[in-house]
Amino acid sequence: METKEAVFRVLRFNPERDEKPLYQTFHVKIDKRMTVLDALENIKHEQDASLTFRRSCRSGICGSCAMKINRLTKLACKTRAITEVNRHGEVLVEPMENMPLIRDLIADMAEFWREIERGTPWLIWDEKLAGSNKETLLTNEQQQISGKLADCIMCGACFSDCVSRVFDKNFTGPASLAKVHRFVADPRDTEGTKRVHGLVEMGLWSCTHCYFCWSQCPRDVRPVAAISELRALSFESLDPSQGARHVDAFMDSVKSGGMLSEASLYLKTMRWNMLRDFDLILKMAAKGKAPSPFPRAIQKIDEVRSLFRLAKEMKEK
Amino acid sequence: MKYAYYPGCVAKSSAPELYSSTALVAEKLGIELAEFTAASCCGAGVINEGDPFLNLALNARTFAMAEDMDLDILTICSTCQGVMNQVKRQLDKDSALFAKTNEALAKINMEYKGKVKIKHLLWALIEDLGLSKLEQQVVKPLKDLKIAPFYGCYLLRPAEALQFEDHDKPTSLEQLITILGGEPVHYEGETKCCGFPILFVQRETAFKMAVTYLNNAKQKDADFMVTPCPLCHISLDIYQAKASKQIQVNVDLPVMHLSQMVGLALGVETEKLGFSKHMVSMARVLHVL
Repeated sequence: METKEAVFRVLRFNPERDEKPLYQTFHVKIDKRMTVLDALENIKHEQDASLTFRRSCRSGICGSCAMKINRLTKLACKTRAITEVNRHGEVLVEPMENMPLIRDLIADMAEFWREIERGTPWLIWDEKLAGSNKETLLTNEQQQISGKLADCIMCGACFSDCVSRVFDKNFTGPASLAKVHRFVADPRDTEGTKRVHGLVEMGLWSCTHCYFCWSQCPRDVRPVAAISELRALSFESLDPSQGARHVDAFMDSVKSGGMLSEASLYLKTMRWNMLRDFDLILKMAAKGKAPSPFPRAIQKIDEVRSLFRLAKEMKEK
Repeated sequence: MKYAYYPGCVAKSSAPELYSSTALVAEKLGIELAEFTAASCCGAGVINEGDPFLNLALNARTFAMAEDMDLDILTICSTCQGVMNQVKRQLDKDSALFAKTNEALAKINMEYKGKVKIKHLLWALIEDLGLSKLEQQVVKPLKDLKIAPFYGCYLLRPAEALQFEDHDKPTSLEQLITILGGEPVHYEGETKCCGFPILFVQRETAFKMAVTYLNNAKQKDADFMVTPCPLCHISLDIYQAKASKQIQVNVDLPVMHLSQMVGLALGVETEKLGFSKHMVSMARVLHVL
């Protein structure tokens, strides 16, 4: 098979020797089938036995070899080296982010596990609540939802690439919330939607929907979609937080005028906090770009209002 | 080229300069914009959290109107594009959901057939007009300007719903900047989140995101940043000074809307592009030109 030489720039750090991480360049002959993990094994066996990284199954099942490959977190065993070289000209390999570095490509996942634990990631079954239901049958649809979420292999890729977590250590992260939704969606769990109540403190409204967790998940778990579902449930159970108020105000505004009224959304979400922006609002007004608090409704607004009513009826059904 | 034009809510309220500059650019390029008069807000991913089915129904209504006009939808907002393409993908892949949504639409005598395409202006310029054609119309190249592209989230992710370009290494903005005569600048954060979706809920986190990426671009000597999304523009321009002050990192980097940048290179008069409406002064950039 045709081979070509590829450059691997690998982050190295030995806490006993190095003050800070450095990058080391290796040259590896790759063919079109080789994964990044194969190349790292090659480096370890033939060039530098001290290179340290986690790996186990080599088949995308165990989740051990998540690392940053050309700045996005991927499983090294599922990532073809040639694809990376064609895209980026080289393969830059670094440990996962949002976790402290231990050595070379190994990050300390303790924080990740602590966050998973915050969501009580096990089935709660209360005999009294379950009543005579000794057996709970899952519908196909229910199984599809909780089953998909249960596909998570805890590799940490979503946590590593989560933009909110970088700046907000109280945000529990995508995997943790996806795990919560896995049990909320499981009819055997007697806690069910009650699980949603503690989520505001775990940062339910801190996710920006940047969709990195969806794109980087090697199992297609789509944590951001689970977060949206949890928000919808929290919203329904009259979550009084600013996040839920934002949703409420948004819906009200579209229902009344068809388009979003930025002014009313802002005022209803921020309430007295708007005073912090008073100077900004004045500046915007002076530049003729402060949104009008009384925007004109779109044509055929009745159709929009009908859809609001129909959606509500369907939900109640 | 003719599109069912969906400017979105923000271009019609807090970013009027985006709306007006897009009209001028379209005129120069001979793009006909048939603006919706009865389309609702796309929901910006927020309505989805209040009522997921309503999110589908509202957007399907917009799609049905475009299909009636026999036109594809053009947006100038990454978020509108992202939400709409995700709804479209959901409906087109799930026949039960498709039927249920059409059941609701039938009550208002409408039908979504699954034909419509939703494109951001950036994509339309590249795919439909073609960059070489655009290049021929450049009369005022953006030379000597270092420009930082800010892709943000919705033009790239979730990758499988969009498939316009490789989300892992996008090049569309870079290509556009280059043919307009500018020099693209790469920096850490060009594909990350501006923080806007949580600006009114987790203000400090949102500020940190915006300031970090703006500052990274500035450290690479960018003269200005360009964004295809008016929501990013709120975070990156309108709130820039406030965020800088709170996070205590002085940034001061002008941020242009995509349409304004194209307009400049096509020779639209500077005064008409609405730069005076920006919070961070564009004077230095315009001086170079």
